[in-house]
Amino acid sequence: MELQEKITILSGAARYDASCASSGCSNDTPRGGMGNTSQGGICHSWADDGRCISLLKILLSNDCRYDCAYCVNRSSNPVPRASFTAREVVDLTMEFYRRNYIEGLFLSSAVNVSPDHTMEAMVQVAEILRNEERFGGYIHLKVIPGSSPELVRRAGLAADRISVNIELPSSESLKRLAPQKSKEAILAPMKLIGAESGMSLVERRKSRKAPRFAPAGQSTQMIIGASPETDLQILRLSQGLYSRMNLKRVYYSAFVPVNEDNRLPVLAAPPLLREHRLYQADWLLRFYGFSAEEILSDDAPNLDESFDPKTAWALRNPGFFPVEVNRADYATLLRVPGIGVTSARRIIAARRFAPISPEGMKKIGVVMKRARYFITCSGRPFERVDQQPARLRQRLLLGDGSEPKLPRQLVLPGLG
Amino acid sequence: MNNYLYDGTPEGLVSAIASILDSGENPEETHLAVRQDTLFEEGLFLRTDSALAEALFERLRQRAPDAVYTLWYFMMAEADGLETSLLRYIALAFEHGDRVNGYLTHADVKGIVGTARKAGRELHRMKGLLRFEQLRDGTWLARMEPDCNVIQPLARHFSRRLRAQEWFIYDARRRSAAHWNGSDLSFGTLEQFSRPELSPEEQAVQQLWQTFFKTIAIPERKNPRLQKSNMPAKYWKYLTEKQGE
Repeated sequence: MELQEKITILSGAARYDASCASSGCSNDTPRGGMGNTSQGGICHSWADDGRCISLLKILLSNDCRYDCAYCVNRSSNPVPRASFTAREVVDLTMEFYRRNYIEGLFLSSAVNVSPDHTMEAMVQVAEILRNEERFGGYIHLKVIPGSSPELVRRAGLAADRISVNIELPSSESLKRLAPQKSKEAILAPMKLIGAESGMSLVERRKSRKAPRFAPAGQSTQMIIGASPETDLQILRLSQGLYSRMNLKRVYYSAFVPVNEDNRLPVLAAPPLLREHRLYQADWLLRFYGFSAEEILSDDAPNLDESFDPKTAWALRNPGFFPVEVNRADYATLLRVPGIGVTSARRIIAARRFAPISPEGMKKIGVVMKRARYFITCSGRPFERVDQQPARLRQRLLLGDGSEPKLPRQLVLPGLG
Repeated sequence: MNNYLYDGTPEGLVSAIASILDSGENPEETHLAVRQDTLFEEGLFLRTDSALAEALFERLRQRAPDAVYTLWYFMMAEADGLETSLLRYIALAFEHGDRVNGYLTHADVKGIVGTARKAGRELHRMKGLLRFEQLRDGTWLARMEPDCNVIQPLARHFSRRLRAQEWFIYDARRRSAAHWNGSDLSFGTLEQFSRPELSPEEQAVQQLWQTFFKTIAIPERKNPRLQKSNMPAKYWKYLTEKQGE
């Protein structure tokens, strides 16, 4: 089979993996070799769906013995099958890297003979890149659930980041939609990775020559909207993964119906807004000091479609506001809709020179469209803060109110 | 308001700022601009003095090293009309040290830091968007037309990353070029430029990349607006994956 055709099949089969990060570690170029990584990561292009391309994201093979309901590569699908040789993936990675198309490789694979068989082949690709090509760029390896601890260890030593996909937000859904996979087989390597990278950090504190184990940490991803879990269940799961498993990232992937299957919901379009809201909530968990239980409750277990989760929280907690921007501490500023991590830091830096005026807030980059209802500057409110949540909701939705943009009501003569 | 003029070069700008600050003039009541050579132009022309510029840099490095970085990025942006803001920014940097970059509620600080940030953003962007092509003699060439003059830090980035190959970066807007020979980096300008012939295998690899680019997008999520906002069309001219669009 031509290389062109293999790329078409195996990148097309890999596109449903959400992660493409190349951040989280910084390596120097190896002696006599090629490539380094930078802490912040670098995006090299943006595909037609607007998602960034940072890595050569590809499957080693799409020839799968599993039959997961949601997956385009499932064994019962009549799609063309292809497999790369290790050398082909290595050469592609190097040729693309030399031309600055990519930061490195993100390799995943379908499972054919056995998890260990596939994992071994993937680890080999990474080891050839590191040892023969002396490649110093980014490598992200997917870990196949059920592969042996020894192979997971080798993967962690060769790669910058490794990930195990949790696939679905609950073990019931996993049983129903991916009966050949189990929660235990997924969680076991996650725990092992967490323990190994923790140990590697300790060792490296003693000696800088100690081997690094997945220095950019581990991530995971789950499909949203293929199964009945609420957003609260999903956020609780993520919260647990961040706090107990020490994950770097949880990716949410809006369910794209690629198969017809009566176990799957029928959707007109992928739930992209829901995915977006989950990412916003995920940021609140990781950088804004919120807990899942503050963002959602058992009474209202799903994220609001009209408002971002922080604005929704602010609307439910009017007692917390208004916040005085010239006095509030960092954690308090972070809770104001329209003030993010960057603008909260800037507010604190700027007010050491002079009290911040409403004009100053704009200069700093605060989104005043949202923040104006929740703050005071040296005691002065921007807006007469309306204590009626219903009216505040409407103003937030419609803008500042100077130009009434109310949906025009159709008045029919003779009626009413 | 006291008006001063300088010759329009970066060095002239720094030297003019040095002499204004040395004269004890109040920067808030001073205006600095490029000399236009028009009749009736008002203001005192300050001659470029390299030693003076050098000395100012050195003092600023001692007092506010971050501000030197900001100044460096600001110069990359090649922005017009912000001379007076730069004068006031540097005066504030001497007064407050590195904290000055946090004084974003001050219009002049905001102008300088914002412009510097623009150059920093484009430098980061070019690290991802630059495309090398293999030439017939085995060396590599990348062409670009960035808004900001980022070739120096960009070339340093690739001298670390693509250490094992000989390459050129050409800025078609400024006719400037960087060359890495495998051990040393050099810079220069080109009077004339014609694109050399590509290596025989270059076309095949470019096609593989174009195929990858096309198939990696999820068709159900097509979003050209998002693509353009992340990767503005002005960069497409030299992007392998955007040829023929």
